Amino acid sequence: MKRRELLFIFALLAALVLVPLLASNLLINFLVTALIVALAAQGWNILGGLGGQISFGHAAFFGTGAYVTELLQLRFGVNAWLAALVGIGVAAALGWTIGAAVFRARLRGSYFALVTLAFAEVLRILANALEFTGGATGLLLKLQPGAAQFQFESRAVFAWIAIAVVGVVLLLTRHIANSRFGAQLVAVRENEDAARALGVDIIATKLRAITLSAAITASAGVLYVQYFLYLDAQIGYGTWISIEALLAAIIGGVGTVAGPVIGALALHALGELTKGFAGSITGIDLVIFGLLLVAAVAFAPAGIVGAWKRYVGGRRNA
Amino acid sequence: MTIINQEIIRMSTNITLPAVSRRTLLGATAATATLGMPAILRAQPAPVKLGILQPITGALAQDGDLGRFGAVTAIEEINAAGGIKSLGGAKIEMVFGDARSNPEAGTQEVERMQAEGVCAIVGGFASPICLAASQAAARYNLAYVVDVGAADAIVTRGLTNTFRFGPGIGIVTKTALANLVALNDAAGKPAKTVVLVHEDGAFGSGLAKLMQTELPKLGFEILETIPHPTPARDMTNVALRIRSLNPDLLIPSSYYGEFVLLARTMQQQHIRPKGIYSVLNGAASNFRFVKEFPEAAQGVMDCNHWADPRKPNTAMLRKKADEAGKAWAYNIPLNYSCVRLAADAIERAGSVDREKIVAALTASNFAGHCMPYGATKFEGGQNQGAQPVNLQVQGNDIKVIFPAAFAEAKAVFPFKG
Repeated sequence: MKRRELLFIFALLAALVLVPLLASNLLINFLVTALIVALAAQGWNILGGLGGQISFGHAAFFGTGAYVTELLQLRFGVNAWLAALVGIGVAAALGWTIGAAVFRARLRGSYFALVTLAFAEVLRILANALEFTGGATGLLLKLQPGAAQFQFESRAVFAWIAIAVVGVVLLLTRHIANSRFGAQLVAVRENEDAARALGVDIIATKLRAITLSAAITASAGVLYVQYFLYLDAQIGYGTWISIEALLAAIIGGVGTVAGPVIGALALHALGELTKGFAGSITGIDLVIFGLLLVAAVAFAPAGIVGAWKRYVGGRRNA
Repeated sequence: MTIINQEIIRMSTNITLPAVSRRTLLGATAATATLGMPAILRAQPAPVKLGILQPITGALAQDGDLGRFGAVTAIEEINAAGGIKSLGGAKIEMVFGDARSNPEAGTQEVERMQAEGVCAIVGGFASPICLAASQAAARYNLAYVVDVGAADAIVTRGLTNTFRFGPGIGIVTKTALANLVALNDAAGKPAKTVVLVHEDGAFGSGLAKLMQTELPKLGFEILETIPHPTPARDMTNVALRIRSLNPDLLIPSSYYGEFVLLARTMQQQHIRPKGIYSVLNGAASNFRFVKEFPEAAQGVMDCNHWADPRKPNTAMLRKKADEAGKAWAYNIPLNYSCVRLAADAIERAGSVDREKIVAALTASNFAGHCMPYGATKFEGGQNQGAQPVNLQVQGNDIKVIFPAAFAEAKAVFPFKG
């Protein structure tokens, strides 16, 4: 089973790597957007899926990664790659700080979810109001294709970078899921009191998870800003990315290794496919998209990965 | 044709038809086909694909729908008049993209349009969509004509493919302030205090910032600046704050839904300053607002994009909008004009070659639009003649009150509602 999971990860990555070689820019652009959401969802999954700490405000980390990366380049002339690393680091530190404040206050469940949402909103309002962050006008990175600027003439190169980051996070998630830390996270998720009784340091475990989760989600923000080259408070800290990250993980399979990636790809593919139904009624594609989503949640509550496992398990037992 | 004629003559003169072998007949048929083909091609040149990008779903759906109507009307008109003449009467084929009111979807639609072989793109509406979509188009040197997007960064980034037909925030604010001073002076300076209400996105905040700097220099006292998000579901707090501040003038800069909510709440609460002078307001220059809430709309002034009532195609376009049941708002004439501008560039380029179209737009001197701008002249991508006008809701109509050259009515200020 374990080896099969690793094989699946490599097969998925190999398939993704081939896409930019064969596909048009239209498909590559779709892939990059879906992978950015997949990364944010992978980040959410570490804390929400493995650790059971449901966050509604992962935009806080996505936006911080994106803003720090862009601000360092624009205001201080820092190299784009270095800025990206610092962006991820600052978001991880923010994750730790939020975690330290919230977990020490013993907030969990819906209280934790609401507090994370509030943090993201505060950051959105600040980014929207402050001159330094470009205010509501946002920040524009100059279009300067070149490896040193972390911008590429070819969309394929960017897609490969996104695939590489997603691949690293997939392997990291698998490693965590099979490690002592992963077991502690699951223990915290299932029953905090029981975990504490077994000697698990609850706060330290949660803090490690939120820090890692923030760093991964921030890398999605970094990729977003280097790809679209434009950022405003609504894009960085808006609820859209928190919802997309959550939705992708839920549709793919919460707490599974590949679930968020599969969920993000499936959601975005569905969104693109339903566009074909647009016809004469404006927005009908979104209605179909919504109905399919409801059906997916109703018939596959454990997500795509969960449904697949149930199907394979059922066939084996038959 | 000569071969066919010779064949016919030979066939008709030679009664016994001994020479008409199967090979000759096949040859003649082939010749007919070969010679006939260019004529068929000339009759039906390949259509010119033009990308139209509008947000027709999401928060900006109403604006996107009106923008699409303007673009479609222009395309129908151009095609009915014989298409692009320099391309043998090629018809314009619309490749429509729904930007879904966000920049990522706008970018994805630009990629799709590129894959479908468009030669230029028109539209975008909101500034973030225009910024992202024009940048995506720049990768392919695809000409991008911005219809509305007012953020000045759109044309100050140095993208050579991006052209804004309408005015940006800078010029709109300058005009709005000059007209406000003229209006106030003419009425004996009844307005001294101001409250600014603005949406907290790029356009509202940008405008509010400029107003905060400029209004005090002109002798106005700003009592408070109140931002609100888009969408906002309730404006009661904003309205009550305005009542407690009791300003002479209210200057709102919001999208349609929020201003309608504010105006209705103010009407319900009997809050009536001496004037509501909005800038680039989504509702104050939209007939839907006037039709649905005539009492709340009375006397509201707006400095905004508006079609030139003196131009013949304005009346025609408005008639078509009425027939189609579309509320008359600036999106329609702006997109109509932008499509005609793009078509004129393709006409002069005589080709769908992207560089030639960009060059034709750069050198554009197009006057066949219905906005009060004069012939187009682009500098750094900005149409230099673009300017807003001042409007006021009077009765069940929206009248132009500035500039004097084509004002339809005199401003009613202070307004006693």
